[in-house]
Amino acid sequence: MNLDKLTRLAKPILLAIGAILLIALPFYGSQYTITTFVRIIYFGFLAVSVGFLLGQGGMISLTQTAFFGMTGYAIGLLGYERGIPFPWPDLIGIGIVLIAATLVGLVSLRTYGLTFLMITLAFGQVCWAFATQNTTLLHGWSGFRGIRPFVLFGIDFRNSANFYWMSLVLFALGLYILWRIVHSPFGLALNGIRENPRRMRALGYPVYWIRFVAFLIAALYAGIGGILAVYYSGLIAPPTIHLSRAIWALLVVILGGSSYFWGPVVGTFVAIWLEVLISQYTQRYLLFVGLIFVIVVLFSPQGILGIIESVLRKRHLWITGWLKARTALVASGSDKAEERPGKEVMKKG
Amino acid sequence: MDARIIILILNGLTQAALFFLLGSGLTLAFGLMRIINLSHGAFYLLGGYIGYTVMKLTGNWGLALLAGALSITILGFLFERTLLARVRGQDLPETLLTVALSMVIADFCLAIWGGHSLALNVPKALNPSITIFGITYPGFRYLLMLASVVVAVGLWLLLYKTKLGAAVRAGVDDRETASALGVNIDVMYTIVFLISAFLVGIAGVLGGTYLQLSPGSDTTILTYALVVIILGGQGSLLGAVVGALILGQIASFGSAYAAEYWMFLVFAPLAIVLAVRPQGLFGRTV
Repeated sequence: MNLDKLTRLAKPILLAIGAILLIALPFYGSQYTITTFVRIIYFGFLAVSVGFLLGQGGMISLTQTAFFGMTGYAIGLLGYERGIPFPWPDLIGIGIVLIAATLVGLVSLRTYGLTFLMITLAFGQVCWAFATQNTTLLHGWSGFRGIRPFVLFGIDFRNSANFYWMSLVLFALGLYILWRIVHSPFGLALNGIRENPRRMRALGYPVYWIRFVAFLIAALYAGIGGILAVYYSGLIAPPTIHLSRAIWALLVVILGGSSYFWGPVVGTFVAIWLEVLISQYTQRYLLFVGLIFVIVVLFSPQGILGIIESVLRKRHLWITGWLKARTALVASGSDKAEERPGKEVMKKG
Repeated sequence: MDARIIILILNGLTQAALFFLLGSGLTLAFGLMRIINLSHGAFYLLGGYIGYTVMKLTGNWGLALLAGALSITILGFLFERTLLARVRGQDLPETLLTVALSMVIADFCLAIWGGHSLALNVPKALNPSITIFGITYPGFRYLLMLASVVVAVGLWLLLYKTKLGAAVRAGVDDRETASALGVNIDVMYTIVFLISAFLVGIAGVLGGTYLQLSPGSDTTILTYALVVIILGGQGSLLGAVVGALILGQIASFGSAYAAEYWMFLVFAPLAIVLAVRPQGLFGRTV
């Protein structure tokens, strides 16, 4: 009882402290820290996109980086090279993403599981190859360099602190909306399809179209991440949309815990800081990350959040069990204290 | 017919030969094991690089081919027994393990062989200029086609004329029943995975001779292999042949006439096939 109250109190306090730390970051963090956090946010959008499809819809998509890159290329081509002012290249980019997602979705969503994975992989690679081969429009390997953010309502987003705040607000808003989607009837139907599409179809749900809408939502999130990425890094080139990035995003989701809403965010956070740490010592970042993922997949398929949850639950069980046993002991003698106290709590958890 | 067209068709057949070597093992493994080995492309790259190093050290192309094929087979064996076997039957962890392995291998290759394109030199004896009906074409490419045909016939004999093949086919059709009838599915898994690794090792050395090896060719190759098996249908040998032939011609004519857009052409037959027959041309409904 006491502990429940304590955790109920601790949660909002911890959240508030976390939020304040994040918002105040430009005041105490170095330029490098800000850059790292902006990277976490734009790759976070990508990971959330992959994680939503995988965690909520049971679809492993390796094509999300293509959507991530499409908005970037739209901005590079229309905004940077043709000089079309701010919101239009971005909106056109989002439009292109939605059209492409519609086309890929219509074809690939007829399939499930590994076939879906293979088709999305192939489409992602086709986009990558197109970007490398097309020299007339997309400049092949070199892509677009030197793209700068915009000035809006007198706020200069070329200032990295301003850009960080904008990204943070967008990310928070995006996560809030996604949270609402996940917990809406639509999200529940999507979960049902993940578990058993056949049964959901028998119940009268339009399975194909629910997955289709989920695919569009995910593509949109990847596209928004791509906008932030291209403005902050100033660069869009084929390596951004390469398969290895899509695989990275998938593994990041698993690292965080694919069945948790916050899994992709936690995974991105850890993976990006890991990259910062490892690359101080060696260039073989991907090799280490690959090995870490092998270990995660083999020994902790639920990811970091899964580990944390199981540790917390064990401790929680242990403490509440101990408290209950003690009160029981005090109240009515030793015979009741012999009961195994964990059982009831387990049901609650 | 124009000589140029014939050369393009021959180029397409050469590509198809390589695609078949890549796709056939993968499609069998997928059909039987229901896992998709996403490190297939990385196996190709590593096999090619090992072949390159052996070629450099000994100057013997045959030895390079053998080394590439055997080393990948051994790697495949170790990977299958020590890692994949631990998560057997779970789609997602199996796929993720192969993905993580592909990352490790690709980075390892980059560390050892660097970022430049490498290619094996063909010995003159294996690469005579052969002229048929007035059209001269490198002999090594004919050799590649021949190797692919030999592999196709070998696989067909193995699958349809031996007890082992019957067991594998039974496993592809219905894993549980085959297992209940006394087929040791576990051993079948390993055998099919080894065949797949062996073929991709060979493909690596052949591809490293006929094309080039560079960081990034692993994922390109993986894409081709996947397109072949999606087109042809999972688990179907005939499907792999037909898929490879279609993709080979698209690659050849596409890169000649629409160099900047031909990769999109690859996606077109995929979209058509999936819209009409989601299980692939020769695949069975699962």
